[in-house]
Amino acid sequence: MPKGRMKTLAQTPAGSVVTISRLESHPDTCNRLREIGFCENATIRCVTNGSSQMICEVCNTRVGLNYTTANAIFVLPQDAGKDPENRERTE
Amino acid sequence: MNPAATVTGTIAIIGNPNCGKTTLFNALTGLRHKVGNYPGVTVEKKEGRVTLADGSDALLLDLPGTYSLSPNSPDEKIVSDVLFGRMPGTAVPDVVICVVDATNLERNLYLLSQLTDLKFPVVVALNMTDLAEEHGIDIDIPALEQAFGVRFISTVARKGTGLTELIAALPGASTNEGSIRRWYLPELARKEHQELVEMLVRNDRLTEAAAYHEAQLLLAAPAVDDSYHGRYSPETLSHVRQDHTVLHEGGINRHSVFVESRFKWVYSVYNMAVKHRRTRTVHSISDRLDAVLTHRVWGLAIFFLLMALMFQTIFTWASYPMELIGAGFDLLAEGVSSLIPPGDLQQLVTKGVIGGVGAVVTFLPQILFLFLFLGFLEDTGYMARAAFNMDRMMSTVGLHGKSFIPLLSSFACAIPGIMATRTIENPRDRLVTILVAPLMSCSARLPVFALLIASFVPDRHVLGFIGLPALVLISMYLLGLGAALVTAKLLKGTVLKGPAPAFIMELPPYRLPALKNTFIHMWERSVLFLKNAGTIILGVSVILWFLATYPKMEEGTAAERLAHSYVGQAGKFIEPALTPLGFDWKIGIGIISSVLQREVFVSTLGTIYNIEDADEGSTSLMERLRSDVDPVTGAPTFTLLTAICVMVYYVLAMQCLSTVAVVRRETNGWKWPAFQFAYMTVLAYGATFLTYRIGTWIIS
Ligand SMILES: Nc1nc2c(ncn2[C@@H]2O[C@H](COP(=O)(O)OP(=O)(O)O)[C@@H](O)[C@H]2O)c(=O)[nH]1
Repeated sequence: MPKGRMKTLAQTPAGSVVTISRLESHPDTCNRLREIGFCENATIRCVTNGSSQMICEVCNTRVGLNYTTANAIFVLPQDAGKDPENRERTE
Repeated sequence: MNPAATVTGTIAIIGNPNCGKTTLFNALTGLRHKVGNYPGVTVEKKEGRVTLADGSDALLLDLPGTYSLSPNSPDEKIVSDVLFGRMPGTAVPDVVICVVDATNLERNLYLLSQLTDLKFPVVVALNMTDLAEEHGIDIDIPALEQAFGVRFISTVARKGTGLTELIAALPGASTNEGSIRRWYLPELARKEHQELVEMLVRNDRLTEAAAYHEAQLLLAAPAVDDSYHGRYSPETLSHVRQDHTVLHEGGINRHSVFVESRFKWVYSVYNMAVKHRRTRTVHSISDRLDAVLTHRVWGLAIFFLLMALMFQTIFTWASYPMELIGAGFDLLAEGVSSLIPPGDLQQLVTKGVIGGVGAVVTFLPQILFLFLFLGFLEDTGYMARAAFNMDRMMSTVGLHGKSFIPLLSSFACAIPGIMATRTIENPRDRLVTILVAPLMSCSARLPVFALLIASFVPDRHVLGFIGLPALVLISMYLLGLGAALVTAKLLKGTVLKGPAPAFIMELPPYRLPALKNTFIHMWERSVLFLKNAGTIILGVSVILWFLATYPKMEEGTAAERLAHSYVGQAGKFIEPALTPLGFDWKIGIGIISSVLQREVFVSTLGTIYNIEDADEGSTSLMERLRSDVDPVTGAPTFTLLTAICVMVYYVLAMQCLSTVAVVRRETNGWKWPAFQFAYMTVLAYGATFLTYRIGTWIIS
């Protein structure tokens, strides 16, 4: 995995599209994230990014999260994380 | 509703939050439903009747919105408990209607795949097809039916489209019995899972379907701790522990493998059956709206502006229907007094009953406007943004934005507010939210505020369009909010210490509001309010009239007679405790009689002043409050300062037995409601005392 390019979701600027590579938090929080759509390999579009909270679009739904949560989500820029097997969708 | 019709079977509605479940439920049942609670927990239980194609009635059960069948919050636990027949008093549903949002199928189909795995007879309501059409989303329904093995019926719950077809499909609901489960686990996980399923069936006597579900939960669980003992056989539990190690050593993330594998299959179905015809344009609009409405400065400014607007309109718009209702009650009182010969009975009916009940019912329009506004905010999708904005503020007191929705709903009533805490996953944060929710000014305080403000606050314009009365009203709401936040901070810092919670919250798409649901809700509230006025308030008014009339004194003015009555004597008895707050004994009686619920304060004053001013013919309660003087000193009983003190007291005091009862049930004991009652009473007394002291100091 190209560790150098890995960032957390909180570091993603508004307007960019990223792919989730892994989740690092309490298992309960992770499962909640997965069920709401923040699951490994999912595509995320960042809608707004304030300085302590952000809005993302996942599975066609907007989700608000704070930085504590966003920092638990590690992402790769879309092109690097692209996996033809997986749901790549163009909006 | 036709009570004679036989009810055949139970149908449950299940779906993700915001997929249109409530709208569908309302459309199917009309007003034939009631709202109650599941035993032991304060999760709303919504039941109604629906007429099937053959003319028989079936019970329709609206389950809380959920993303999956794994119980993450009390709300979601209800869903799995009902489906697996673990909910006493609720029959296992014969058919499940799974509502899925056609514009958000990727995630909605996940829940459906869990349901079909469990082999429940399912019919899918493919809802919001109008929006899907609008967004250029093409859905291949036969392909979905083939993949899941169940019927999909297109619906537009908001317009009532497709409901007949949906009802017609219910009896033939397929159980997906023959079909195989189509998603694949990595081999090692599949093998361990399969073994555990067999073990659960053999040792723990679960059905195959339930075992299939439980095995996934057990394998993904953080650890097998004490809470599992007694629920499963020791043999099973030791097997689960072994499995955890095996999976870990095999390099499989057991926490994510089930969710991920299932999602993978769901996505493949989605990609096969759903095509986007054109790029969506809604993005740009919603993006811009979100950028402004959740901006850290503009977002807050807009929120406070909206609130100001709301309270201003509540005051101005509601005043017309209120005057009408008031005039109606006056006419009624006149009519009744001409029918009944003068005497005690006439007095009881006109002064006690009509005076007391009328005083409260007059405020119904304001309460309805409040619900209309809150419903509007909810319906447009703004409410979730407001909660999101508030996350920053809430996190400074150690709670997160999700706690804000219960607090905002408590503006309407603390009881639904406390129920709304069920979406908060962390039990500690939930408890803190429950403990502070009643500090938010509910609609029952509105009559108290409105009466006092209209009587004593001069109607002057201050900040452009906002009048002084609305400003005072807003201040009262802010006082409650401030007190709630400070108390939450104290609680989170001491007795209920815990880390700042993770915050994830779905923001529903912006929509033009369909006010039908809001109107149904307003109708439900009106019925509740009037029922209440016809029972509790009526009862208290009658009792109060007796206590304020007897023992009778033959000579003397009406005021002297009142002072001589039981109420007068009791009032004088407690007066020493109230003098430090600047309250006289009549206010004291109001406070005591409204321990049950706050709006009784208004009916009590209505009754007392009606009796006291019997000599003066009919004037409004406001006039009477303004002109009331202390018989000894000649000073007015009520001044602007007294009015403010009474309001401060009502903002902070727990004058509501229903809330106490709900908190007791919610927290499973008397400890927390007792604590809550005590701290709120002390807070109210202290703050009112301070306000009175500071107020007198400023005046002098
Ligand atoms: N356009 C459209 N809107 C709908 C439809 N069904 C529900 N809605 C709207 O979707 C929003 C959420 O619906 P609601 O019933 O409260 O969802 P719930 O959270 O699942 O109970 C409301 O604003 C509804 O008016 C539909 O079929 N089409």
